[in-house]
Amino acid sequence: MSAEMYLVDSCVTVFSSNPMSVKAESVHSSLVTAARDGDRAAFGKLYEHHAKMVHAILLARVPRHEVDDLTQDVFLRALRGLKSLRDPEAFGPWVATIARKRAADFHRNHKETVELVEEPAAENFALPEALSVLRVIQSLPETYQETLLMRLVEGMTGPEISAVTGITPESVRVNLCRGMKMLREQLQKEVP
Amino acid sequence: MTDDYLWDKSGPPDPEVERLEEVLGVLGQRKPLEIPPELRRQPVKLWLWATLFAAASAALIAAVWLPRRSRGPECIVLRVEGQPTISSRSLGERARLREGEWLETDARSRARISIGHVATVEVEPNTSLELVRVHPSEDRISLKRGKMHATISAPPRLFFVDTPSAVTIDLGCAYTVEVDGEGNTRVEVNHGMVSIVLDGRESFIPQGAVCVARKGVGPGTPYSVDAPPALVSALGEFDTSSSTTALHTILSQARPKDALTLWHLIARTTGTDRVSVVQKLTSLVPLPEGVTSAEVLQGNSVTLRAWLETICPQAGRHHD
Repeated sequence: MSAEMYLVDSCVTVFSSNPMSVKAESVHSSLVTAARDGDRAAFGKLYEHHAKMVHAILLARVPRHEVDDLTQDVFLRALRGLKSLRDPEAFGPWVATIARKRAADFHRNHKETVELVEEPAAENFALPEALSVLRVIQSLPETYQETLLMRLVEGMTGPEISAVTGITPESVRVNLCRGMKMLREQLQKEVP
Repeated sequence: MTDDYLWDKSGPPDPEVERLEEVLGVLGQRKPLEIPPELRRQPVKLWLWATLFAAASAALIAAVWLPRRSRGPECIVLRVEGQPTISSRSLGERARLREGEWLETDARSRARISIGHVATVEVEPNTSLELVRVHPSEDRISLKRGKMHATISAPPRLFFVDTPSAVTIDLGCAYTVEVDGEGNTRVEVNHGMVSIVLDGRESFIPQGAVCVARKGVGPGTPYSVDAPPALVSALGEFDTSSSTTALHTILSQARPKDALTLWHLIARTTGTDRVSVVQKLTSLVPLPEGVTSAEVLQGNSVTLRAWLETICPQAGRHHD
C-alpha cells in the first residue's frame, strides 16, 4: 500500500459496547476482517457487542451457573472458526447459532437431569427471585425466551436486539409484546 | 399503556417491566473475554512451519554473524537548525534515536525525526520528547513539552503521542501537538483524523479542528479552527466546570460548522442541558433517517454513531 492510501483510507473501525444499528453493519465487517487477520483487540470489540446476546441465548437454555463459562466458550469457538464465516456482516446471527449449538452440546454431554443450582442468597438477596422469574421465562415458547432475556436481563432495547440478532425490528417487537403478555400471565398464576 | 418502554425504553416507564428489569438485572452478562495464550497469536498453518524453520535458521545465523539490529524501523533524527541534543549529546547532522532516549531542542534549534516509512515528525524549538517505543505494531513518543508536527503514513492506531494530559492516537493524518509549561496539550489536525483519549474520555479531531486536553481534566471538546472566539472561550470553561452558562454561550454561538463540537457535548451533558444541545444540533444537522431524538437523549451509542456519520463521516468510522 502506498503512503497516500494510508493517509486517505483509514481502515480501523471501532464501536462502543452497545450493539449496532443495521446502518452501522460495515463497522462489524471491519472488525471481523481485522479479527481474522489476528487483531485480538478487534475481536474483543466483537465480544463487547455480542456478549449480551450470547449470554441471553445460553441463559434460556442451560443452568445459570454454566452460562458465564459457556459464553466464553462460544466466543473462543467463534474466534477459532472466524475464517469459516463467509459474510462478515452476519457475525451476530452466526455467533448466535454457535451459542444455540453449544447449549445443545451441553445437554447431550450432561444427559442426567441438571437442576438449577441456587447460589447462596447471602451475597445477593435478589437472586432467588431472579431465578424464580427466570424459570418462568424458560417455560415460555422458545421464540419469546431469548428476546425477553435480552431485554429484561441484559438491558438491550428492541432496536439493539434487532441489530445484533439480524431479526427484523417488527418481529422483535412482536416477540417482546407477546412474550411479555405471556410472562405477566404466568407470573400472576404464581402469586399465592 | 403503550409498549414503547418495553420496546426501546422511551415513553413513560411500565412499572411491571421496570420491576422485572430490576429483579432480573442481577443475572446479566458482566464477565470480560479471556483469550487463552494459544489464541492470542494468529495460528500458523502446518505448511508454514517449514518456512518458519528456515527463516529462524537464517535469523540465527544472522544474529551470530551480523551486527545486532533494532526490532522495529530505524528512527533517525536530522538536524534542521541549531544544535538539538539526544540525551544531552549533540547529534551533529544526523543521528539515530533509540528507545528511551530524549531529543531536546533549545530556542534556536529544530529537528526532524523519521521513523522508517511510517512517520515524519518536525520538532519545533524548546521541545523535549522521548522515543518510548519503535515497533512494527506501535510507535510511541512522549512529548513532555514543546511542539511537534506529525505526518503519518501508517494504518490507524499505530502511532501514539503521550502527553501529560492525554494520549493522541493517529487515525491516518498530519497534525500538530503542543504541550505548554503546565502540561496542557493542544492538538490541531491538518489532514485526516486524530483521536485524543484519557481515562475513557475520547475526542475525535478531524481535519481543520483543534482540541485542548488539560492536565488533570483530560481531553476537551474539539472545535473548528475558525470557531467564534466566544464559543472557544465558553468551551474552555465548560470543559473544566460543566457550567450551564458556558453551555448556553456555546449553543448561541454555534454554527453549522460547529456541529461536531455539539455532538461531543451530547455525551458530556445530562438532563435539560442535553436536551438543549440536541435541539440545537438538530437545528443545524437533521437527524439521520431512523434515528429519533429520544434515542439520542438516552445516549444510545448506536444512534449517536449514526448521527456522527452524518456530521463527520470520517469520525463516524472511528467512533468507539
